Amino acid sequence: MKRRLTIAIPGGERSKAYPIELLRRAGLTIPDLSGSRSLKHDLEQVTLLEVKDADVPVYVDIGVADCGIVGKDWIMESGRDVYEPLDLGGPAYRLSLIRLRGATGRIERVASKYARIARGVIQSKGMAADVLPLNGKLELAVTVGLVDAILDVVQTGRTLEDNGLEETEVLHKLSMRLIVNRAALKLKVPTIRELIHRLEP
Amino acid sequence: MPLIPDGTRFTLPAEAAWRSSLRATLETVLHRWGYAAVQTPALEVFDALHPQADKSFKLVDRDGSVLALRGEYTVAIGNLVRSAYSPDDYPLRLSYSGALWVRTRDAELGRAREYTQVGAELLGVSTPLADAEIVTLALECLDAVGLPQAAVELGHPGFVRAVLSETGLEPGVIEGLRTAIHRKNGPELSALLESHRVTGEKRDAVMKLIDLYGSSDVLLEAEQYALNDAARAALEELRVVAALLPGERFLFDLGIARRLDYYTGVIFQAYTPDFGQPICGGGRYDGAPSPTLEPIPAAGFALGLERLMTALGGESPVLSAVDAIALDAATAKDLRQRGQRVIMAWTTDRATLERYAAQHGIARILGSLEVIA
Repeated sequence: MKRRLTIAIPGGERSKAYPIELLRRAGLTIPDLSGSRSLKHDLEQVTLLEVKDADVPVYVDIGVADCGIVGKDWIMESGRDVYEPLDLGGPAYRLSLIRLRGATGRIERVASKYARIARGVIQSKGMAADVLPLNGKLELAVTVGLVDAILDVVQTGRTLEDNGLEETEVLHKLSMRLIVNRAALKLKVPTIRELIHRLEP
Repeated sequence: MPLIPDGTRFTLPAEAAWRSSLRATLETVLHRWGYAAVQTPALEVFDALHPQADKSFKLVDRDGSVLALRGEYTVAIGNLVRSAYSPDDYPLRLSYSGALWVRTRDAELGRAREYTQVGAELLGVSTPLADAEIVTLALECLDAVGLPQAAVELGHPGFVRAVLSETGLEPGVIEGLRTAIHRKNGPELSALLESHRVTGEKRDAVMKLIDLYGSSDVLLEAEQYALNDAARAALEELRVVAALLPGERFLFDLGIARRLDYYTGVIFQAYTPDFGQPICGGGRYDGAPSPTLEPIPAAGFALGLERLMTALGGESPVLSAVDAIALDAATAKDLRQRGQRVIMAWTTDRATLERYAAQHGIARILGSLEVIA
């Protein structure tokens, strides 16, 4: 039995480009969606939902979307119980602990937009530090002394350099992943297996 | 202050009526299959070894000891049996229906923190026939409430356990492998195996775990990856139980690794099309919840009532109007005896009564106001 799939991808012109490119490569017909303000696209073979990165795992876990394409960072941060069958590559980036260049003092406060991951890292390292959840421009938080370190994604590291910061530890190598709802994988076996097969790098 | 806690809700009349009728339908099926309804306390003694211990709402008793709100029924029913029955009474068929509480959940579609479960336990026997009875009963319950198209997936956590034990790795590493298998995360599983130098047929068998799901073909396919007796026994158990089940609509997943790990035998979950969460699940649990308790072999299943209602479309049927307004007690009594639903006049102002009847679709106003005037 073939069933139509609903796929959640990060919205926004820049974020959705790579997932759409992947889906096109997998053989889906997707028209040019740039400039479209619609968040739900009923296309020929699938329905696409444009949501915030952080929300892709939520839509998939609850089952409103059958699968999703999103960065590993947001999958980890969500803690959602979903299948994660494929590493889809994409622009390489990493999750790192970042400090002022040359800083050696004790870390007592860490700012991050990934509060859950940050707490996990602190716990697993046996550090006694508090997490300050912030939403962006984290470089500033450490520069002005709001925190002793930040935990953030790094692509080239240039912004860090410009702000007098350095990566003291790379914690995870990150990439885009395919995630799949637990019930959907079972109920739509042929359709999803085919998608997985076609997306396989 | 919020009116009610997160993840709890008020049930209004139309939904409450629908809920009781669904519950009654399910209880009738269980009753006809010879299951006797029991009740267990909503307040339980907190036990850190309980499978739901991390998730439970906790309270402090008057002597300072910790209590927990009931978070599942299987362990509670086991304790009920330990307290009141002996092995001479086996097999026992017991059913339950009541509220459960989960502290750690986020309130989301199909995931309340206070919810209702209806279920059954067949205790004191461990046979494929008993396993098959539970799955068949669960299917019949789904049929009865109007979900005949539900797909049932069977699995056996012993298979993953047995295949992983072949690697000879430490428990900590095995736990990492289990997590990757649970998420069907091929890239991570492969990286972990490589870093711990698992190679050859053992590597192939572990990697295959994430791919052994789908139709009954996977049982055949799994044979070549069953490297030890325990793995072969798990497969054989699944095959025997599946053969005893009616129809062909069964799916299999041999890569069930974490969530249902405390089960010791055949397990199952039921899914309904276009609803992203299982609506019913269960399986065999022959162990004891803590080492000080006597193990009781048992198979059971439970169905989440609220989730079932969401899967059925979430719309309560419209509540039927009452049949009449009675103007005096004798008329009301007479009508009720004839099976009618009657409300009493609450005022002697006829116009008010007529307006109310018109608004609420009540066909008749009967009796005599003089009697009460």
